[in-house]
Amino acid sequence: MTDVAMRDQPARRTMDAGRAAVLSRFRTFDAVFGGLTLAAAVFVLVLLGSVIVSLIIGSMPAFRAFGLGFLTSQVWNPNDDVYGALGAIYGTIVTSVIAMAIAIPVGLGIAVFLSELCPFALRKPIGMAIELLAGIPSIIYGIWGLFIFAPFVQSYVEPPLIAVLGPIPGIGALFQGPPYGIGVLTAGIILGIMVLPFISSVSRDVFATVPPVLKEAGYGLGCTTWEVVKNIVIPFSRTGVIGGVMLALGRALGETMAVTFVIGNAHRISASVLSPGTTISAAIANEFTEAVGDLYTSSLIALGLILFVITFIVLAIARYMLLRIQRRAGV
Amino acid sequence: MATFSKARRANNAVFLGLSVGAAGLGLLALVFILVALLWNGLAGLRPSVFTEMTPPPGAAGGLLNAIYGSVVMTLLGLAIGAPIGLLAGTYMAEHGRYSKLTVVVRFLNDILLSAPSIIIGLFVYEVVVTRIGHFSGIAGALALAILVIPVVARTTEDMLLLVPNQLREAASAMGLPRSHVVLKVAYSAARPGIITGLLLAFARISGETAPLLFTALNNQFWNADITGPTASLPTVIFQFALSPYKDWQQLAWTGALIITATVLILSIAARSLGSTRTAK
Amino acid sequence: MTTVADALTGADASTAAEPAPERAGRPALNKVSVRDLKFFYGDTLAIKGVSLNLEANRVTAFIGPSGCGKSTLLRVLNRMYDLYPRQRAEGEVLLDGQNILDPAMDLNLLRARIGMVFQKPTPFPMSIYENIAFGIRLYEKLPKSELDGRVEKALQGAALWNEVKDKLSASGLSLSGGQQQRLCIARTVALKPDVILLDEPCSALDPISTARVEELIDELKGQYTIAIVTHNMQQAARCSDYTAFMYLGELIEFGDTQRMFTSPTQKQTQQYITGRFG
Repeated sequence: MTDVAMRDQPARRTMDAGRAAVLSRFRTFDAVFGGLTLAAAVFVLVLLGSVIVSLIIGSMPAFRAFGLGFLTSQVWNPNDDVYGALGAIYGTIVTSVIAMAIAIPVGLGIAVFLSELCPFALRKPIGMAIELLAGIPSIIYGIWGLFIFAPFVQSYVEPPLIAVLGPIPGIGALFQGPPYGIGVLTAGIILGIMVLPFISSVSRDVFATVPPVLKEAGYGLGCTTWEVVKNIVIPFSRTGVIGGVMLALGRALGETMAVTFVIGNAHRISASVLSPGTTISAAIANEFTEAVGDLYTSSLIALGLILFVITFIVLAIARYMLLRIQRRAGV
Repeated sequence: MATFSKARRANNAVFLGLSVGAAGLGLLALVFILVALLWNGLAGLRPSVFTEMTPPPGAAGGLLNAIYGSVVMTLLGLAIGAPIGLLAGTYMAEHGRYSKLTVVVRFLNDILLSAPSIIIGLFVYEVVVTRIGHFSGIAGALALAILVIPVVARTTEDMLLLVPNQLREAASAMGLPRSHVVLKVAYSAARPGIITGLLLAFARISGETAPLLFTALNNQFWNADITGPTASLPTVIFQFALSPYKDWQQLAWTGALIITATVLILSIAARSLGSTRTAK
Repeated sequence: MTTVADALTGADASTAAEPAPERAGRPALNKVSVRDLKFFYGDTLAIKGVSLNLEANRVTAFIGPSGCGKSTLLRVLNRMYDLYPRQRAEGEVLLDGQNILDPAMDLNLLRARIGMVFQKPTPFPMSIYENIAFGIRLYEKLPKSELDGRVEKALQGAALWNEVKDKLSASGLSLSGGQQQRLCIARTVALKPDVILLDEPCSALDPISTARVEELIDELKGQYTIAIVTHNMQQAARCSDYTAFMYLGELIEFGDTQRMFTSPTQKQTQQYITGRFG
């Protein structure tokens, strides 16, 4: 036995030498492949870094000319070459607020429906149908909004709003003026529809992380379905739901095409949500290719920078919230 | 006691009714959009759409150059972005799984994933278009590639993380070099998921408009040369829909129908591929 | 609990330093020598200075309760722990006199020499044929006919050939659990290793498949040095020549299997093999 083992040694060594030669060739390939993956990962960092740097460089002329007043002025006048971002920032925020006011309750309602009420056989098809809303390209929302939805809002939504809410002091200020159909309200509603799936599918997913025993304990105490949802499911998954809402908000803030079609492109702030306005992304989409003069271009890039900073903060919060719930689910 | 429980029951019914209503509203919105799209799009769907160029104002024509431009830029964008995304995702899940860099890259990749696409358009304009001096299909493809990278990186990472570690250990235990473990074993285990990611990225960029507006711009004529301004379906829809001409508006609707059909087919294919995997 | 721990420290000093047991009338050829091995998961000491030898062409079984360090020890032998951060080993592990813990050691070469089969069968997501050919092809450029021969030989070596010869292009995942495990053994054998490590290879298998794998282990020891970690004491008794009993990261007793199971010298060993703890 020992002899056999000893006799094997030279053969073993030859084989190992052959393998070592093969492996040294692979080692180079290994190093190249590993290096490439690292380079790609670093490229993602560099990419995001260059986006920020190029936006900062591009917006320097505008900030140099107008200083921080760029952020607080709503004058946007290409004829005099004077620009202020406030109108666009205001429009961006108001449309997003309207979108969230619609998407949060409806999205949560859909999530509750899908996770608690819907018959099992229908959960998948209905869930998928709702998610298709997120798959439809934004240009489609734009053309639909322009030709179908805006006239619909003009004839069936805005007149009753003006009639019913308009005369009320305070809140009535939001609903003044003629029903154009095109305006901040319509843009907000369309954004709300677009981001609906973000809230509903993220919420549905985090609802699924609620341990069944907790829900069963609730039902065991005699709670109704709604009470279980309100007192157990939503509190337990709050962080995740907020993450989903922030994700949707990030999307709404930066959405371009759907808004550009229906907002009316007016750089001014009006109290009424029925009047035309603009958003940062709509202003860039509409005016960038026609912008003559460095200051005009630079002002539009500065708008882009502002948008990026806002969405970066919102998305960072969203990711942080979702990460927290993932960690908890992972435990 | 009885009235209290009646109030609770009524409350329950109201809120559950509202949640059913919410689902109904969501479905209604989808149907509303799709019906409008079919109704208006089908009206203009005829062979000439695919054989003729985009017409001058007030004339009839087709969308051939726009479809061609879209296909070329989308494929080019995918060809440039997908390998980078694939490698970055591989780094996060494999080579750099335990490194601090991965935490940072994952976070920033997620930001890039949801960043407004118009910002990417601005970036490419600044970096590519101003340097070259004119708009081009290549710049458009680069902008699309930047949108592809985070989608592919994210799904690749997720799918590779689902591959059981035992499989990697088993492959490493055979003395396979690292690159073999990843390329031959981990990739083949994660293949369906990675393909889903590629299809989702494909679906996303084929409908993108904003980043093309000031990179590829548009072109009314046939142009096979992507170093010049290049037409694409979304930008043509944008231009034609906002025009006062009926013929153009009709073409915009038909183009919208074509894009939506493409995107929805791609994303449904991606999803069903993903679900057959989870069903296994 | 304290009594066990106390007794263990005492036991460790006397047995761990003991050289590999020898069989009467035949000098042992030590294929692998472990010298004062310590292993850390981060700051936790999981193996607390273990020394033992694996004799060539013999089966050495590692037994002990969960968390005793037996699987960890096995994963040191092919440096599997290198895949993970914050895991490290101290001491010496000599394979034919060469220290494999040396940082300069070529891990791929080492792992080609020391094959490993895992607890759960891990066929690669490819055909049965490819599962085996894939490793061979890496190291050797063989003509198709020769490669076919090697695949067949490996499958025969793992007693699987007759069951799969008509469906070599079927997915490795389509086999039953026992067949998958023998496929993994075939895959390991195909690379012509010196040493085969088996980490609870039967714990996911039914009794019939287990018997097959045990028979196979018996056949394999003619050509290979084998180390097997098992939870099943009958299995250790059935198929090993030497047995090492570990507890809380220490080697309590190591010796001839027959002797260990009939007259263990340490109280903990006796308690464990009679099922009184663990």
